[in-house]
Amino acid sequence: MKILFHKLLTRLYTPLSNRRGVGGEAVLCLLFLTACTSPSVPTTFEDSPTLPSIYPDYIGVTVPVNIAPLHFHIDADSTTTDFVTRFTAGSEQWTLGGEDVRPGLKKWQQMKDAALAADGTITVEVFTQSGSTWQRNKPFTITVSRDSIDPYISYRLISPSYVTYEDLTLNQRCLENFDESLIYGNMINGDEANGQCINCHHSQWYNPQRVQFHVRQYLGGTVIAYDGKLQKINLKTDSTLSAGVYPTWHPSKPWIVYSTNSTGQSFHTRDVQKIEVQDTKSNLIFYNLETNEVTPITRDTTDFDCFPFWSPDGKYIYYVSCHWEKRDTVNMDFELIKNYKEVQYNLYRKPFNEQTLTFGPRELIYDAVARNRSVTLPRVSPDGRWLMFTEGQFGVFHIWHNTADLYLMDLTQAQPVEPTPVTIYSPNSLSEDVLPPMANNVDRENIADSLREAQGLRTPLPSHIRCITELNSPDVESWHCWSSNGAWVIFSTRRTDGNFTRPFIAHHDGNGHFSRPFELPQDDPQYHRQFLRSYNIPEFLSGPVTIRPQEFAALIKKDATPAQLKMK
Amino acid sequence: MLLAIFGIRLVQRDTEFLLRAQELNLWLPTGLYWKTVMQYPGGAASWIATYLTQYFYYPWLGTAILCGLWLIICLLLTWVYRLKGPWMALTTLVPLALMACFVQTGYWLFYQKLPGHLFVPTIGVLFAVLCLVIQHLLDMTLPAKAARWSRLVWMALVCIAGYPFFGAWALGATGLLVASPPTPLPRRGEYIPKETEIKPQAKVTTSLSLGEGSGVRLFGVRLLLALALIAAVPQIYYQRLFEMTERAFVYVAALPSMRYSQDSFEQYRLPYYAIILAFLLLLVVSFLTNYLKPTTIKGIHSPLYWRGVGGEAVIVLLLLFAAIIGVSTVWYNDVNFQKELAMNRAIEDGDWERVLTYARDGSTDVRPTRQIVMYKNLALFRLGRAGNEMFNYPEGSTPQNAPWKVHMTQVGGKLIYYHYGKENFCYRWCMEDGVEFGWKAETLKFMARTSLLNQEWTVARKYLDLLKKTTFHREWAERYERLLATPDAFDLQKAEAAIRAGKPLMDEQMTREFLPIMHMMTYPDRLDGDNTLVEMYLLQTFAHGNGDDKLFQEMTLLCALIMKDIDIFWPRFMKYANLNPDVHMPRHYQEAAYLYGHLENKVDISHMPFDKSTRDTYERFMKFNEQCGPMTEEQKAVAFYPQFGNTFYYFYFLVRNQKTN
Repeated sequence: MKILFHKLLTRLYTPLSNRRGVGGEAVLCLLFLTACTSPSVPTTFEDSPTLPSIYPDYIGVTVPVNIAPLHFHIDADSTTTDFVTRFTAGSEQWTLGGEDVRPGLKKWQQMKDAALAADGTITVEVFTQSGSTWQRNKPFTITVSRDSIDPYISYRLISPSYVTYEDLTLNQRCLENFDESLIYGNMINGDEANGQCINCHHSQWYNPQRVQFHVRQYLGGTVIAYDGKLQKINLKTDSTLSAGVYPTWHPSKPWIVYSTNSTGQSFHTRDVQKIEVQDTKSNLIFYNLETNEVTPITRDTTDFDCFPFWSPDGKYIYYVSCHWEKRDTVNMDFELIKNYKEVQYNLYRKPFNEQTLTFGPRELIYDAVARNRSVTLPRVSPDGRWLMFTEGQFGVFHIWHNTADLYLMDLTQAQPVEPTPVTIYSPNSLSEDVLPPMANNVDRENIADSLREAQGLRTPLPSHIRCITELNSPDVESWHCWSSNGAWVIFSTRRTDGNFTRPFIAHHDGNGHFSRPFELPQDDPQYHRQFLRSYNIPEFLSGPVTIRPQEFAALIKKDATPAQLKMK
Repeated sequence: MLLAIFGIRLVQRDTEFLLRAQELNLWLPTGLYWKTVMQYPGGAASWIATYLTQYFYYPWLGTAILCGLWLIICLLLTWVYRLKGPWMALTTLVPLALMACFVQTGYWLFYQKLPGHLFVPTIGVLFAVLCLVIQHLLDMTLPAKAARWSRLVWMALVCIAGYPFFGAWALGATGLLVASPPTPLPRRGEYIPKETEIKPQAKVTTSLSLGEGSGVRLFGVRLLLALALIAAVPQIYYQRLFEMTERAFVYVAALPSMRYSQDSFEQYRLPYYAIILAFLLLLVVSFLTNYLKPTTIKGIHSPLYWRGVGGEAVIVLLLLFAAIIGVSTVWYNDVNFQKELAMNRAIEDGDWERVLTYARDGSTDVRPTRQIVMYKNLALFRLGRAGNEMFNYPEGSTPQNAPWKVHMTQVGGKLIYYHYGKENFCYRWCMEDGVEFGWKAETLKFMARTSLLNQEWTVARKYLDLLKKTTFHREWAERYERLLATPDAFDLQKAEAAIRAGKPLMDEQMTREFLPIMHMMTYPDRLDGDNTLVEMYLLQTFAHGNGDDKLFQEMTLLCALIMKDIDIFWPRFMKYANLNPDVHMPRHYQEAAYLYGHLENKVDISHMPFDKSTRDTYERFMKFNEQCGPMTEEQKAVAFYPQFGNTFYYFYFLVRNQKTN
């Protein structure tokens, strides 16, 4: 009912709003008058050697067979008076008019079918009219892959804000069309006096019946839905740092490993990265949903363990960790703020014994610190071969670091390594004087690292790890998720404007290479240009979460069940 | 007439308020904006209200629209309630209640979360009145039996279809329809009996049930249906549609919350209760004037009894007078609030002298708020006169006149950060406010400008594109958009080189706005936080800052002065002297150096060329201090002010405990 209602309202409104120089009813009347005429490709036109400027940029992308229509907007100057776009797949053609190119679901399906029946591509030609002259931009193609994508994604929508968090929602979106619905929004249970934060949604192996998320502050607790059973658990115990934070489900059992974190944030006075989110402590805990027991996995106060991820075979927990021993007399928070660029995380794993529910000793599998780098968010592909992670210059919360890029490790060649002694490497070993003055932090850091590498102050990138250049941009790439068939990845990036995170999707060829990524399609192609919220933690789901927000709200109103501490 | 007087008064007195109201408003002709407001019940009321609030860009136009809508409400009410003669004037009670809702706003302007809150009550009431009008039109056009049913159907429709769009106002409309007066004109083909033929009891039932003998029963049915609808419809919508509204608030959707933080402010709800009261009064008067006669109901002083002696006019006048007094009482009137708004606009206009004119205004003896003091200091700093005149103006730390603690970050802090080169902090508070109180033209403007200064071109364009979609801020956005074509304009060295070469990269107005800010941005990045205390943060960071840019460096000296920190002062004073060898040392800096030199002997001031006036004033100050020996500090503050109020000596010794927010 909700989707229907909003669809109806939006349909009523959108035609008006999507015209140039909206003039109200007059535009609507004109629309009605012109609706009957179908656009046609001009008979004479000039060919332009340049590709059209479109948003989102879908030029040369590969899309799954079941993806929603790729609606795009043609960016043109004010002298352009008319637009015609022709799609060609095999021997079939479709023509659409207007600067917003919005093939309907049915038409788009026909295009994809025709493409798959032919060479797998849809060719797009954009014709624009200025004065009496028509021009055709260089055509581009969209490749349709036979690999399907999980039909749903979930994400949190949040303004890239700092302290306040009203209108915070966990949403789900059908990738096969444009339907978006709410999983839970904080306003249903929060009010002026009682704010509520919601975060860290996660499902067990793409299963929408087995999901969890946290509610913080007012009515706080961890909400777990497991095969129709709804629970609200308080994961904080006397012997753990906090309630559960970043989760990872065991691929099949009712077990979840969480990090527990003591997190703070501070603000850059000049840097456009604006915020630094830091942990002053973090550990890992194991939660058994069947017994409602919490067991600490790591408790070392000098190691900040974070972002656990369970391998698809359930045999390992991958996570990142930073070793920090208190240096100064000031308190830990200030010390870390002062030295924030030296807070760097390595990639570790711990073997897991399913019989005893215990974890073995940690193994360092990537010494990023030796490269003056910091890694977060290890995510293993469903076939267990590839591990994708985010690497940046420092810190753990890479969504605010424009040096953050996606990297890929071939796990078949990954071996435990010995850590480089910290005395050998010092992040500040290079004098600032030798660096050219550049506005761009990324360039500056790259040059610095090249110089360090040349001086033997930095180890080179191991051969089984590569920077996924085809996915990365000069801005942030961060939170990523593999599709259940391993053929697609979705990741967060701030490449469009540097401030607002958008989900991008790319095809994986199975051999560690990716196609050009494309932005999550929207019904209104300019939606993301207007939208003032970021997408957090995009994760694939095999279907929609069917529990309604009101049901979650009713559960959250109740007291949380305290988890029991079990020490090993 | 009354509405016209109000309109004139509003424009005369509250122009600054109206101008700021439209800056703190945002209406976008996009599907996304519509979808956003419609997430909550009553979204359409907000959508219309935000659209209309834009027109305060021209205060007289917005006010005319507001008064026009009130006039329409009056006329429709007169028709619906069949009011005649002096009683017609009573319909103005509803607009008077709406006026009270409007004029009581004050600092709610910054804290109210309901989009379009200034117009929402008017739109809501207009909706309810239109529902009444339609019901009467149905009564007039349909046969009696059908009309009876149509009333029930219409009531259900208003509640069910109206709630998603108008929230609580649709519930109110449903309530109004229960007790709506009878049709004002005869239905088609209906026999109208002469007044003398109708028994009083029959007349009463007529009023309740369209002339049927079973009127009370039908009224009861309507009442029960309305109660059921009002109770059930919001709950059903909560369960099925509105997933972002707290269950307890479904009945007050689209009403301003009047809550902030942990507190609820009941007094601001009174005008809303007055709206209900006004409708009840109209209903009673309509009933009394149309259906009861003194000859038929003895002992009751009905309006007809008074008619002969002009009593009706007296009653009406008394009621109106009481309502006007009520409106006057709640009309928010605060000198500092007005000053803050006026100074804010003067700063946005780049008219620094105007800022000082407001700061100088001594028409009342109300001490200024810290925000006023900071605006004044900013203006003096930008005019290069802070070192000479900073203490010529009244000091104060009067809290903002609101029953909750007003934070500068949410009122004028963003503007202050913006001009002092703390662009990330300005941006931050815009984002925080956008999340908490909704997006506004003002915040988007700041975000666009701070993004330009931070050389974040794409996101700057994003905000400018949004502003270009608005009705009245398009021109502003286009003006700033042109700067995207000259990114070098935001590189201080290149911009100044271009100016020196006689080929400035920005026009004069933009140069005046941006260049000083770029000078203020010449400090290294660090991680920090202001804990919502704008003034303290600026004082601390500038006073402990160090830079070679003349403008920036002077700010460090000024802040050291205000902080009264002697150890910080000296190095900044020396550096100022070195950086500005050709500048006559400003008076307050001399005073501070002379004073500190005497208080502590750490720095030898004997060779410093102090002005004679600096030395003389100091001597007089100390002598006067000896004369006033037994006085308390408060007494001294009063006694010293006429002679020494404009000196640093006075500020150092007698201005204390300035609490900032």
